[in-house]
Formats: sequence, C-alpha cells, structure tokens
Amino acid sequence: MLRLPQFELAQPRTLDEACALLVEHGEEAQLVAGGTDLVPNMKHELFTPKVVISLAKVAELRGVRQEADGALVLGALTTLEALAQDERVRARAPALAQAAGLVAGPQLRRMGTLGGNVMLDTRCQWYNQTYFWRQALGFCLKKDGSACHVVAGGAKCVAAASNDTAPALLSLDAELVFHGPAGARRIAIDALYSADGIYNKTVRGEILVEVRVPATPAGHRGAYGKLRERGSIDFPLLGIAARLDLSADGTVASAALCAVALQARPLRLKKAAEVLLGTRPGTADFEAALQEAGALAQKQCHPLDNIPGDADYRREMVPVYVRRTLLAAAEGSGPVHHV
Amino acid sequence: MSARDVRGPGAPWPEGFRLVGKAQRKIDGLSKAIGAALYTDDLVLANMLHAKILRSPHAHAKIRAIDTRAAQALPGVHAVITGECMPVKYGVIPWTPDENALALDKVRFIGDEVAAVAAVDEDTANAALKLIRVDYEPLRAFLDPEEALRTPEPQIHEQTPEQKLKEHKGNVSKHVRLEFGDVDAALAGADVVVADDYEFHGTTHTPIEPHCALAQFAPDGVLTVWSSTQITHYVQKALAQVLELPEARVRVIQPCLGGAFGGKSDPFALEFVVAKLAMLTGRPVKCLWTREEVFYAHRGRHPMKLAYRTGARRDGKLTAVDAKILIDGGSYSSFGLVTTYYSGQLLTGPYHFPAYRFDSTRVFTNKPPCGPKRGHGSVQPRFAFEVQLDQLAEKLALDPLELRRINFQGENVKTVNGQRVTSNGFLQCLDEVERASQWKARRGKLPRGRGLGVAGSMYITGTNYPVYPNPMPQAGVQLKLDRSGLVTVFTGGNDIGQGSNSIARTIVAEELGLDPADVRVVAADTDLCPVDLGAYSSRVTFMVGNALIDACRKLRVQLVAALAEHWEVDEARIGLGNGRAFERGAARTLTMREAFQLTEARFDTLGATGAYNTPKLGGDYRGGTIGASPAYSFTAHVVEVEVDEETGRITVANCWIAHDCGRALNPMLVAGQMEGSAYMGLAEALMEDHKVNRFGLHAGPSLLDYRIPTAVDTPELHALIVESLDPEGPYGAKEAGEGPLHPSIPAISNAVFDALGIRLRALPFTPAKVLRALREQATAGRGGSSVRPARVASEAEPSC
Amino acid sequence: MRVLSLHVNGDRVELAAPDHWTLLEVLRYRLGLTGSKQGCDKGDCGACTVLVEGQPVLGCLTLAASCGEKPITTIEGLMPAHLAAGGTGPDPVQAAFDRCGALQCGFCQPGMILSARALLNRNAQPTRPEIRAALSGNLCRCTGYTQIVQAIELAIAESLGVEPCAPAWAPGTNPWKLAAPAEPGA
Ligand SMILES: Cc1cc2nc3c(=O)[nH]c(=O)nc-3n(C[C@H](O)[C@H](O)[C@H](O)COP(=O)(O)OP(=O)(O)OC[C@H]3O[C@@H](n4cnc5c(N)ncnc54)[C@H](O)[C@@H]3O)c2cc1C
Ligand code: FES
Ligand code: FES
Repeated sequence: MLRLPQFELAQPRTLDEACALLVEHGEEAQLVAGGTDLVPNMKHELFTPKVVISLAKVAELRGVRQEADGALVLGALTTLEALAQDERVRARAPALAQAAGLVAGPQLRRMGTLGGNVMLDTRCQWYNQTYFWRQALGFCLKKDGSACHVVAGGAKCVAAASNDTAPALLSLDAELVFHGPAGARRIAIDALYSADGIYNKTVRGEILVEVRVPATPAGHRGAYGKLRERGSIDFPLLGIAARLDLSADGTVASAALCAVALQARPLRLKKAAEVLLGTRPGTADFEAALQEAGALAQKQCHPLDNIPGDADYRREMVPVYVRRTLLAAAEGSGPVHHV
Repeated sequence: MSARDVRGPGAPWPEGFRLVGKAQRKIDGLSKAIGAALYTDDLVLANMLHAKILRSPHAHAKIRAIDTRAAQALPGVHAVITGECMPVKYGVIPWTPDENALALDKVRFIGDEVAAVAAVDEDTANAALKLIRVDYEPLRAFLDPEEALRTPEPQIHEQTPEQKLKEHKGNVSKHVRLEFGDVDAALAGADVVVADDYEFHGTTHTPIEPHCALAQFAPDGVLTVWSSTQITHYVQKALAQVLELPEARVRVIQPCLGGAFGGKSDPFALEFVVAKLAMLTGRPVKCLWTREEVFYAHRGRHPMKLAYRTGARRDGKLTAVDAKILIDGGSYSSFGLVTTYYSGQLLTGPYHFPAYRFDSTRVFTNKPPCGPKRGHGSVQPRFAFEVQLDQLAEKLALDPLELRRINFQGENVKTVNGQRVTSNGFLQCLDEVERASQWKARRGKLPRGRGLGVAGSMYITGTNYPVYPNPMPQAGVQLKLDRSGLVTVFTGGNDIGQGSNSIARTIVAEELGLDPADVRVVAADTDLCPVDLGAYSSRVTFMVGNALIDACRKLRVQLVAALAEHWEVDEARIGLGNGRAFERGAARTLTMREAFQLTEARFDTLGATGAYNTPKLGGDYRGGTIGASPAYSFTAHVVEVEVDEETGRITVANCWIAHDCGRALNPMLVAGQMEGSAYMGLAEALMEDHKVNRFGLHAGPSLLDYRIPTAVDTPELHALIVESLDPEGPYGAKEAGEGPLHPSIPAISNAVFDALGIRLRALPFTPAKVLRALREQATAGRGGSSVRPARVASEAEPSC
Repeated sequence: MRVLSLHVNGDRVELAAPDHWTLLEVLRYRLGLTGSKQGCDKGDCGACTVLVEGQPVLGCLTLAASCGEKPITTIEGLMPAHLAAGGTGPDPVQAAFDRCGALQCGFCQPGMILSARALLNRNAQPTRPEIRAALSGNLCRCTGYTQIVQAIELAIAESLGVEPCAPAWAPGTNPWKLAAPAEPGA
C-alpha cells in the first residue's frame, strides 16, 4: 500500500475545541474535512503533520440555509454532492451547483466538502507526486526543494489553483466566515486567494465555518464550464464560471467571468465581463460581445505547464469555454462539459 | 498428444452441443461478485514480513557502492538485499538474458530496482529504504530512440571488448530485415504508390490489480511463490535459475488475478525479492507494488516510428508493401526479440500482397522497459498500414471498405511470408460492420464533423514458437473423475479474467455430459497442474481446449464401454448429456455419478491426461516460425466519430466490432473480450500516453495522470460475432482476446478523415493535434491536409 | 494505537489500529474483509469503494479512526443482508453481474457493484446515462463497461418484470435467461 505517514487524529466536537487544538499544535497540525485532498497529499509526504484535526464532527460547520433576504449560507462541511443537488443552490447559484457537480467523481463528491474545496492546496505536475518521484528530480520550489521545473529559474511557485468551486464563488461575490483564536470574521472571497503557489491563501490557522452567497436577483443566470480530458474524476484543465444578471428588459445589468486552473490565484476576468454589459442575449450584439469577451479573456489567461495538459491547448480553449459558458448562462443551461 | 487436426469442429455425438455456443455463467463469477475470490494480496500467512524495493532516481548510472548498514540496524528490519545476492541474469526470452533481480552494477531507468528490505510491516520497510545509501555515477541517458540509435556509446547494455570487436551493437536491441518477393520491382511497376510516416506512442496495460507476490520457504528446501503472474511456468523456471534451485523445488501458484493484458508476463523483481528474502529470513514475505511501481515495471506497448510504402494497381489490388520501423524498447529486452519480428511478421493478412519487406530496429533507451501488451507488436504496424490503406482508397477514389474486400486473401492460403492461414472469416466481418453501421447509406454522407471509418486486422491464436524451444506439448491437462460425480480439471493455463477456467469447465461438461456445476478447475499451480505455457499470445482456449478434448475423449471411451457393457447394448447407443448417461432411443438413464461408479468399478480409478502441440508451421527461414500460428483470428471495425471543430475533441459515438473467433464457445465471454479489446484500443488512441518527462522520469505514474477511460468516456460497443469454424481449434474456436483491439485505432483516424478530411497519423489523437490539422487544412485550402510526424530519421542499417 | 469500534456489515467489531490507518487497510488487514480492493490507494480508481451510511465512498482516503458509529457496508455484506431480508442467493445486482459476464478479472467489481447498489437504492429506474455517470468513479480495465451496464439494466428489467434490451451479439433474444442461477442438469 501507499502508506500514510504517522499522525495522531483529533476529533473535536465544537468549533472552540477545534480552534484550541489548532492553537496548541500550530504548524504541526493540519485540518481535515473530507480528506480527499489532504489524504493523498499526506501519502505523497507533501504534508507530514503530527496532529490531524478532523472537522467532521463539528456541528457548527454543517447545514445549508437560506436567509430572509435570499442569501445562502453553506456550512463548510456541506459535501459537493449535497451542494450540487440542493434545489436552493441550483436555483439561486447555478454556477456553484454545476461546479460542485463536476468535481472529481461520484464517490469523491460524497466525501469532499465545500470547505475543503475552497481551501484546496494548489496543484502542479511536479508537486502532486510521491516522495520518491519528487526526490528523483531534486524536489521543487513548493516543497523540499529550491528549483521551479515549470518556469526555468523561476523564484516564485506557480502551482495552480484547481478548485472548481472557487471561480463560481468569486462570480457570486461569496463571503467566507472564518473562526480563529480571535473569534469569527467575515471576508470577501476575493481577499482569500493570493498569487503564491506555495500557499495561495491569506488566511492561516483559522477554520472556515461557512460560505455565504449573497442573494442573487431574479434575473440571475450562471453557468460553469470545465475543460478536462475525461468526463469524470479529472481536475480542471481550465474552469470558467459565468454570471449574467439580466434586468427586467432582458439586457445584461451585471456580469462576471472567473477562471481557475491557470495560476495560483483564481482569476477574475473583469474586462472580458464588462463588454457584455447592456447587451441582450439572443441578439447580434450579444454574439459580438461573446466573441470579444473570449478574446479579452484569452489575453488575460496564460496557462503554464504547471498542471498536466498541453498549456498551448488550454490557452486556445479559453475563448471557446468563455463563449460557451456565457451562452449556457444566458440560456439557463449548463454545465459546459464534454459529457 | 496430437495436433487437433483430425476431430473437426462439430460435436461427434448425434445430439449436438448442449453447452458450447450458449452463454454460460463463469466458474468464478459469483465468488468474485460476493468478494470471496482471493487475489494475491488477499493472502496472509502467519509470521509474514513485508518487503519494499528501493529504486533508482537516475535514468542511467553506474552503481559505485551501496551501504545498507543503517537500514539493517533499524529495529524491525529482518533482511536487506542488493543485486549481489542474486547475480544470475535472466530474461523471459532465453536468448536475451539482460535483467538482474536487483541492479548489479548499473541502473538503466528511473525506477530500476536496486535493493530490497524485509521488515515487520510496510512502514518499517519504507523507513529502512530511506536509510540505504547508494553512490551513483551518472551516465549519459538516452530518452530518444533516434539519438540512442545514432550514439553507440555509452551502451545501455554494455558488451565486452571482445563482443564489441566481433560486432559492436551500440544501443540496438534487435534488428530484423526480411524481404519476400521483389519489393522494389513491384513498387516500380505499381499504378499508384502511397508513402507516408506514422507514429505510435507508448501505452501501458494498467490492470486494476497492482502486482503482488508472496513467498514461503520451507526448511525442506521447497520454495512456494504466490504471484499475480499470467505465466506461472516461466516464473517457476526463472526463480529456479536466479535463485539457483532445482525447478522441482520451486512451486508457483497464481491466485485469482486482477487483470494482466500482457503486463504480468515477464518474471518481475518482486517475485525474486520475496523468494530471496523468505529464504534469508525463514519467514513468509509479501511484496505489493504501489500503482507508481506498476508504471515503472511497465512492459507495455512499444512506441514506434513507422514508414510505409504501399503499391497497388489501378483497380485497388495491392502489389507490394515496404515497411521501415524504429522501435523504442526502453531499458531491457523483455520480449523485444519477438516484438521486433512481430512488427513485421503479423501484417500479412487478411489482405493478399505478393511482395513484402520489413526492416525493424529495436533500440534501448533509458526508460521503463517495453514488452508485450494486448496485440503484441502488431497493433502499431496495423495502425499505420490500415490508415495507409485508407489513403490508397482515397487516391484511387474507392470505397475503403470495398478496397479491403477486393484484397481479401481468402481461406486456406499461404501468406507472402510463408504462414499458413486456414479458416478466415474476414469477409463476413466486413459484411457485418458494413450492415450494422449502415455504411453504404452513411459513409461520406454525414454532416461535416461526423464520420465513419473502417479497419481490419489479423491476429495469432497462440504461436508455435515456445519461449524456450522444446519438443514437449505446449499445453497439458489432467482430469480426475470422482465417484461423487465430480470432475476436477488440473490445468497449467492461467485464467487472468478472460475466463479460461470457465471454458475448461464448459468443454469438460460438454464432453462428459455433466452439469457444469459438477466440474471444478484447479489451475496455474505448478505442483498440481501439468505444464501449460501460460496466458499469452491468445493461446489458452485453443491449446488447453484441445488438450481437454483429448483427455475427455479418452475417458469417454471408458465411460461408453462400461455403460454399454452394463446395459448390454451397442456402444453407439450410449449418450451422455444433461448430467445423465442414457441409451439412445430408449428410456434407460443413469446419473453421471452412477455412470462414474460403474466405470470406476470396471476400469479402476478414473483419470486421464490430455495434451496439445502445434503442428509444424512457419516459413523456412530464420525467424520464420515467429508469428506462425495454428489459426488466425480476423476482425473488422467500423467506428463512428463526432469531432468538435472548435475544441478538437473526438468523441467516438459507436464502435461496431466484428470478429471471427472460429466458434464462440461461450458467446458472452467472446463478446466481453471483443468489447474489452475495443475499449482498450480506443483508450490508447484518444487518451493514454505512457511518457517520460525531460528527466526521464515517468510523467505521471498514477491512475489520475495516466488516464484510462471511465464509463462516461466509453462509447457504445457493439460486438458482432463471426464464426468461421476453424478446422484445428477446439470445436472450431480461435482467439478473441487480442485481435479485436487492432482495428479500433486506425478506424478512428479513418473516421476522422471521413468527418473532416484530415489525416491523423501520429498517436495519440489529442484535441490539440486535431486543431493543428484543421488549421493546416484551412491554410492549404480545400482538399485535405494532415498532421505529419517527423520522418523516420535513421537510414542506418545496424546488423544484429 | 486506538481501539476502534466499527459498525461493519451489521456487526459491531472492536479492533486496535494506529490513527494513520485507512478504512481500507483496516478492512483488509485487520478484519480480513479482503473483498474491498486496492488499485491506486489514493482516490483515483474506485476499487476500494464501500458504502458508509449507504453512500459510496473511497476506503483508501477514509481514516478508519474517523468512522465512528457510521454503518459501513462492504461487498461481503450484500448477500447476507439480502438473505436476512428474506431474499435468496446473492444480491440481485451481484447475480446480474455474474449472469451477464460482467466479471472478467473481477478486481474492480466489488467497488463497481457497491456503486451500482447505491444507485439502485436511490433510483430504482436510472437511465443508461445515469448508470454510466454513477459508475464513473470506478475504473474497469477489462470489460469496456458494456456488460456492466447490461447487468444493471438486467437487474432493473427483472425488478420491473420486463424484458431487458438484447445485446448486439444476440439480437432479439434474452441470452441471460440461460445463465440464470443453477438449474441442475440444464
Ligand atoms: C482523484 C481526485 C480527483 C479530484 N478532482 C477534483 C476536481 O475535479 N475538482 C476539484 O475542485 N477538486 C478535485 N479533487 C480534490 C478534492 O476531492 C476536492 O477539492 C474536495 O472538495 C476537497 O474537500 P475535502 O473536504 O475532501 O478536503 P480536505 O482534504 O479535507 O481538505 C483540503 C484542504 O482544506 C483544508 N480545509 C478543509 N476544510 C477546512 C475548513 N473548514 N477550514 C479551513 N481549512 C479547511 C484542509 O486543511 C486541507 O488543507 C479531486 C481529488 C481526487 C483524489
Ligand atoms: S484504491 Fe481507493 S480509489 Fe483506488
Ligand atoms: S473486471 Fe477486471 S478491472 Fe473490471
């Protein structure tokens, strides 16, 4: 077997207990929710914590509810399958439901959580490998080594954010509630991610309690597009979330486009989204805006040889997936995925 | 022992077949379905230790020194071994013994085995590996076969100075050049000649069960090894050779096997390692490879660069074929000698061509070693040639299916390279796929982006070339008839999931009139079972099947004689069937249990052996027996694709597989082999790529990065069985497990041509390649263009 | 070492295991329930699929110590549960896999059968695309999935009392009738 390194498992029942354990063990602890990212990473000896703190029994992290104003509050332990199937999420945040429904394969969606997906480690073909493999080429910048194999001479890790829900949540202007030693705080999801592939988050040592998706207007449309080789299991080679809020006359009142699986930080494609404003789906204007959005998005996206898959091809697919995902959003269909 | 050329494919009793030809449940289906079937890693012996293997992080390096002291001193470690403990070289082909159980003086790829540890548990063994210090002196590594061919030194497999003086082989593993007829003259005289280059990438077997072995060494000197091997007999021989034990003291048992596809044909380091460690520690030792290690062990499909020239008359009749092939062998020989021959020898059907030449060179590179994968050696040339036939059809404005039809070689013919082809149902295969796919109505007429492609192929049903030449039978069986009414079959044949044990049960139940539930099969245990050469070359059903009929007919004679005597009637009136013996035309019956008891009383304890050996086959030239088979199977596929011109993604919507398997002894199992083969071919065409990165390290040795299709990536597969009733197969049966892989790959390329007018000649057919070809097509204007791999560069003609 | 009290196939079992052992390791090497297979040990293949609270999950990524009281069903649990519920023989899904020839090497099949069982428990009449999607986390290298899909469709057809869709190799027939469980002397 591919063995796990040794650790002690702690299973706190409350948020406070969990926080106390985090404070007590500091750098030597790792949080785990569904374990579908952390466990393989530990088997690869990318993480060798002394203590693994399981959040699975913490009741405060469970549940999905809708607030009076229509905002959705999604507990961090909500599984991806539950998220994908939830009628409220499908209706109010279709891009998120679609993204969750395309993560990995059926079993992993029943184990993996929203919290774990938001907090997913970045990925790279030179990193997500066993100790033997990484050692054979002298390790890499992200773990145990000093060289980057993606960018020759690169001093900055460019491992890619690969979590499907991140662009969907960005497009929905989600907020994250963290609980740490200093209590709870709420941050915009834009503030969570940074451009550092080694650790692409600004929050450390705190527990993600819930994800809040602000109420979406009646004319909200959303869709998710995912490029991958197989129709299941695979991580994204490119993920595009599209949001179109239509006003009463059917024109685009606000728009968002976000992308993942490019670099360490999930991207907002602001310029590309802006060209859609004021157009009306179904018209030639909208069609032209789709083309322009695709071209602008491609200018902003620079896939690298960080994750497996031909980087040039991934770049070529940016405008295609941008257009198709926007179109799906406008039509109220999606996801954009080859099966 | 005899070749089964006398019995014919029919049932020799007037009632006809009761079981043969009908869907039968598998002998081990339910035990697998309920999770009771035991695979090697499911076995646990008391006091068992766990072994782990240290691997080379260098693609090519000399080993200066290995220090195992710290590992040895770790509490819980019971033994540490290195190459010096097992210095005898071996190789599955006795002419090319170039492997050591653990590297002796140098390592040849990243992942090559260097040392091994036995410890109380896996964690301790892993910790010990990290304490072993190896001092390497890196050497220039070759990752590109053309570079390796050009560069004789450093040699990956070093020759002695004397050997070099005699013939410096450089990094060539094997070279074969054979010519039949006057190819140059035939090409010069052809109305049209199509010449092009093709490229086949590396792919690997990926059985879902990783390799595992467990050894026990008894104080009386008997070594028992349970291994996930598909060739028990060769593992037994190799263990005896390397561990320097008499073969009679080595027992190899294959438990239930979780897939193989050729990837469990070689003897592997882990088998030697557990055996040696068990001998040293006096305790049972198990080693289970991780998935990553399975990728390093490889022995998968050889990457090839192929250049073909085909000449034809204006009416489409082929006149000559000329092939030049460069084969990337990876770091060891494995079955490479055979691969090199197969790359040329197996192309000479189902089409007739009067002149043929092939020139194949296998070179060593510092990558995981290649070997036999389903359709050994012939899938790559078949891809190239079947695409070339399509190009020829294009040039001659002929229907590609029709072109194949008019070049059909016929039945009972001798191929240009001297192989005897008997039964041949290729035309019916073409008819079937033509009908089922509505070829005539749809090919060339579907909207742009959708298309149909056809391809054909031929494959061997076993070979008359045993890996070590010997005059003994290739397959032997033994039957024991019990007075309870039970028959136990002992066969060395390896059931690797293809269902050979189930076929054995069906044949014995058919022959002796039994309820299949009253036949048990003991297989692949070298102590208990007569030798069979194992599950490779699609030989088991054919050879073991014939051996079983041989044994059963001997017992049938006794049963019939005893019953006739008992009922005082003529022997011709005795029938066996449905678990009973009966008198034809009369009401008298006995249960088979009673019949067995009566016969045992008459003739003493009941049992029989049976055997099969191939007749003398093959061309009368060096290598002429390689590729000679007692029967060939034939296949035709039509594949329907949909190509997304914007993303370049090819989706296979349907795959019609028509396969001539002689007689389908159990059509359900035949269909399963056809579907599984086609699946594997489609997968290598569209997704899989066994490649190393610039360091020579496997790019992604996991089931996440080496992508095999899931249920949603697999098209509807339509298995259309064609039965040609082979004169020598058991009841007319031939192979079904490898042939049906071949055409899927070229059929996709040909379907993409129908869909878009682009020719894909370099595998795998990634979306990026499709887009590139579409761009070239657009720039070239109308009329079609192509993705062209680099030409086969080397004109060097090494002599080896 | 931790003493675990697991709820496996209806039994409460106690055992000792270190915290870093996965559920798959505990099932296979502590409890001898070797029906759950290992093909990759890191979430990529589905061979280790077991049902936890009726949901298919991967044993190789589940920490045994985190399973607590949750009911776990392994492949070994299906037939006993079927018998206990008054059925005969193995679970109808297991029987259908056997009758359709879906078990070639069989190594992927415990996981595959459990994914199929969970699907039919939540949806008694899935469509073919739904069947394929539900199995898309279980890799099979032998079958090309065709006979697996046929097996599930056979189980569904029989539960509804209708004829299953005929396979390409036996058009217009139901070849699996012949392969129905043991009719002695048939
Ligand atoms: C074969 C395979 C394929 C996959 N494919 C995809 C894919 O296509 N798309 C995709 O997005 N993902 C994929 N994944 C990754 C993973 O399954 C999902 O991202 C899943 O959502 C992770 O959730 P988890 O609960 O299992 O995370 P865990 O492994 O439990 O945790 C992941 C990380 O998040 C941290 N964390 C978890 N919960 C919290 C919390 N509440 N507060 C703070 N930190 C927390 C952990 O410390 C850890 O660092 C795949 C995984 C595998 C094995
Ligand atoms: S062994 Fe668990 S998914 Fe492969
Ligand atoms: S039956 Fe062999 S892997 Fe599925």
